[in-house]
Amino acid sequence: MAYILFTLSVLLVMGFVGFSSKPSPIYGGLALTVSGVVGCVIVLNCGGGYMGLMMFLVYLGGMMVVFGYTTAMAIEEYPETWGSGLEVLGGLLVGLMMEVMLVLWVLSLNEAVVVVVGFSDTGDWVIFEGEGSGLIRGDSIGAGALYDYGRWLVVVAGWTLFVGVYVVIEIVRGN
Amino acid sequence: MTLTYMNIMLAFTISLLGMLTYRSHLVASLLCLEGMMMSLFIMATLIASNTHFPLVNIMPIILLVFAACETAVGLALLISISNTYGLDYVHNLNLLQC
Repeated sequence: MAYILFTLSVLLVMGFVGFSSKPSPIYGGLALTVSGVVGCVIVLNCGGGYMGLMMFLVYLGGMMVVFGYTTAMAIEEYPETWGSGLEVLGGLLVGLMMEVMLVLWVLSLNEAVVVVVGFSDTGDWVIFEGEGSGLIRGDSIGAGALYDYGRWLVVVAGWTLFVGVYVVIEIVRGN
Repeated sequence: MTLTYMNIMLAFTISLLGMLTYRSHLVASLLCLEGMMMSLFIMATLIASNTHFPLVNIMPIILLVFAACETAVGLALLISISNTYGLDYVHNLNLLQC
């Protein structure tokens, strides 16, 4: 239970390997959805309820649905899954084996793994709380500050989305 | 930094490798692009929660907005490719031959 966050991040990597090994995109969408669920639970474990549920809403509820519909339009008759064909299965097994061996090696070390920053597991189970999670949740307050300090950013992002719809219409129009 | 960040950076790198290698479909690379955006979102949210700096939460939200725009444009291009060629196979995109 102390290593729940690390275990969830390992599951996240395995889910990412699942769609990066490039099966047919309908199965890739399934793997991305599962990875999104695991990622949301990671974010929830660190106290970010608002951000996790917003990721659920926008990513899994919005973009994955659109991906599913688009993939259903552009799919072949027999989609290849992870077990059919050696390339996808080989990529999946190589990715999973890499992750398992990396986890075992890192957990057997006593000092930090230094790539650019030093990764050590001493911070994983020491979750320090400042004032405790009370009535004021940090992530909701931070996201609400978008509409206060980031007024112009909201206007620019909204205008970008609006123009994006026109761009999509122009692209799909074809002629 | 904790080992969770190492795994999330690893997930980003795996998605990047998946996006850069083409097999048959184009939409699989778009899915890997979505995976990259998701790993960046998770990492930024974890940093915002762990350093107790709530204002950083603005960054993942704006990242999500622009990732949604990018997905829409990518899927629109995919639809126009699919309308021309029937499927979104990458070996159909051979107009610029070298």
